[in-house]
Amino acid sequence: MQDVLEVRDINKTFKAKAGNVTAVDKVSLRARRGEVTVIVGPSGSGKTTLLYIIGSLESPDSGEINVFGEDVARSETDLISYRRQRIGFVFQFFNLIPALTGLENVMLPMDLCSVPASAQNDRAVQLLERMGIDGRLQKARVNKMSGGEKQRVAIARALANDPDIILADEPTGNLDSATGKLVVDILVELAREDGKCVIIVTHDESILAVADWAYHMQDGRLKGIETGS
Amino acid sequence: MRALKRGFRNFRRHPLRNLVVILLLFVCLTFSLSMLAVKLASDSQVQEVKESVGNYGEIKVSSDYTMQVFEEERSKSESERQTQSRTMTAEEQLAQRTRFLVSEEITDAFSQEAEVITYDKVLDARISVDDLTNSAMESMLSMRERNVQTGGTAPAALSSDSFSFEGNTNGSSLSDFMVGSKKLTEGSFYSYQDYLKANPVVIIEKTLAETNELSVGDTLTATISGQSGKSGEVDLTIIGIYETVQAEEQVAGQETFNPMGDTLYAPLSVVQKLYNTPGYVQLGSYYFDSEDSVAVLQQVFDNELSDGTLEFATDQESFEVISDPLTKVGKTSMIGLAGALGACALIILLAMAIIIGGRTRELGVLKAIGATNRQVMAQYAVEVICICLVAIILAMGVSAMISQKMGNWLLSDDTATAEQSVTQGNGNGMPQMGFGGAMDSRLYKEGSGFSSGSQESLKLNVVYQGSLFLYGILILFFIGLLGMAVPVIWITRLKPARVLSIE
Ligand SMILES: Nc1ncnc2c1ncn2[C@@H]1O[C@H](COP(=O)(O)OP(=O)(O)OP(=O)(O)O)[C@@H](O)[C@H]1O
Ligand SMILES: [Mg+2]
Repeated sequence: MQDVLEVRDINKTFKAKAGNVTAVDKVSLRARRGEVTVIVGPSGSGKTTLLYIIGSLESPDSGEINVFGEDVARSETDLISYRRQRIGFVFQFFNLIPALTGLENVMLPMDLCSVPASAQNDRAVQLLERMGIDGRLQKARVNKMSGGEKQRVAIARALANDPDIILADEPTGNLDSATGKLVVDILVELAREDGKCVIIVTHDESILAVADWAYHMQDGRLKGIETGS
Repeated sequence: MRALKRGFRNFRRHPLRNLVVILLLFVCLTFSLSMLAVKLASDSQVQEVKESVGNYGEIKVSSDYTMQVFEEERSKSESERQTQSRTMTAEEQLAQRTRFLVSEEITDAFSQEAEVITYDKVLDARISVDDLTNSAMESMLSMRERNVQTGGTAPAALSSDSFSFEGNTNGSSLSDFMVGSKKLTEGSFYSYQDYLKANPVVIIEKTLAETNELSVGDTLTATISGQSGKSGEVDLTIIGIYETVQAEEQVAGQETFNPMGDTLYAPLSVVQKLYNTPGYVQLGSYYFDSEDSVAVLQQVFDNELSDGTLEFATDQESFEVISDPLTKVGKTSMIGLAGALGACALIILLAMAIIIGGRTRELGVLKAIGATNRQVMAQYAVEVICICLVAIILAMGVSAMISQKMGNWLLSDDTATAEQSVTQGNGNGMPQMGFGGAMDSRLYKEGSGFSSGSQESLKLNVVYQGSLFLYGILILFFIGLLGMAVPVIWITRLKPARVLSIE
């Protein structure tokens, strides 16, 4: 399978009064189309930091990130289009916009890209249906939804602009195990059927079962581990 | 669902919070706009006043000089005075008569100044008129004689066949008629041509005309001062009859007492001839383009025309009486405006800080999914503008209703003092008898003694001008921009990674 993402020698140190914290320490990683990469590790090991660096929300101190062989440039306009076209984020706390309905939340990334309103609507409805969010729920404000519903809306939103990479930070962290499993299944399906490059970061080792590639993270260092599959 | 719609939706989603912000803003904006309206009104009113008050001046013999001459005169004994006047040459007699007068050369020269808009010359003189009696004057003289015992002094020059002649260059611009204390009831005014040709015409008072059975077209015979015999007499044709407005009002229904009845009006050149003072006037009277020119003209007078005996008297004082409260109100309203705008600024800054502070996560999300800073700002701009727009529209409406009251309230303190001084200035109801009264600081413009003493009370007309609407938009812009500063600073400094993982 084609390499989508290549991360090479990423370092990130946070400077704090209490002392510097090396959150990401010389991390290298490859991820491919249609495959699920799972990174597990204890709290504070640097998983979120690594994911944000990949998603360009955080800048690394050194190292390189290549997507389809191209270095992710650091100019503001490049970052904007990178976030829009390449990356879809799924967060532990959903990070939906409470003032908007589920449908509007999914339309938002397309809206920012000036997609025509009717096309936005069609695609958002289609994505939400696929996530199992029916018409009534689509029109409800997201702050009235359950955790599982919120996370499915969030996944739909991540897919809105049809990105190549889905970055999921503890997607099951706020869900019960059944709902969590449902969400993981969706993410796996996105890799298998849509050919997305899915990276899941979690401390829930059970997710390792679905991983094509698994890593263990500790004190900012990443170490490949064998998976059963 | 573009930024506009999202912003508007956010605006609608917090009705209570927005209501509070709008209410606070509305109060401060209403105050600002009212203050601004008052300021604009007071400015324009001062400007208006400048065109009618404070733009008048006259050149005449200074009261200091007059006092000084009187003092010298008083120190002489009666016999001294008599021998002096008997031994005077014709030239000395002319000098004697003109010592309280101004040479026309000077008044004419001053009229050439560019700032001078109108020019008139006035001469007041007591002239004897044969076969004309003033019954009112007779009764008043007897009244005065009675007063002598209680300390009053009867002017020696007064007698019942001596009349006050007032001459100027154009009858229709006589100040008594301009201020409305007298009005022509029959005939016409003498014209500038009458003045140039020295046509012997005269305007007399109604009661005087009635008692002496005179009407328009009849003639009077006046005597030239210091001359006698037929050669010293001038026949004056009556061309107009006037009445004294206030005197009539005061004594409606009673026996007419009209001390002003002894004033006759004639072309200046005629009065000069009768008084035997060719080339001399009592004063030159000038209107200028604006109050602003007075300082310049004063300079011209001081440097070029003043010889120590003359003064340049202006109505600066009455201008100040009227304009000072207005100017003060203007200043106060500016302070109020500044304060209220400051409060507006504070409110919008605080409100936006609260609004944004509660939505940092949303900002982070927007950035994480690829919103540009401009897209985020547009959304907040809509929200800010909605809040400010509602507040300012309400404020415009309400301040249109209350700014007049604000103006009155601001003016109320000052008006009391202003009205007092106005009354003091004009309240001496007694007519000024004769000419050259040393105490007479009254300006020619204000008319003689019977002019209305009850000046209209000072009022600020806060017209809600169109320019205020523009200022309103400007203020809207100003607080809108200020309100936007908060999200702008917040967004440019926001690190999405910090806010997205917060529970
Ligand atoms: N902005 C920051 N400033 C300072 N230190 C930070 C910052 N962000 C993260 N860190 C530190 O970096 C280290 C890694 O944090 P990170 O959030 O990446 O861990 P994590 O593996 O995601 O943990 P968790 O499982 O609890 O989410 C932690 O020690 C954390 O305290
Ligand atoms: Mg984390």
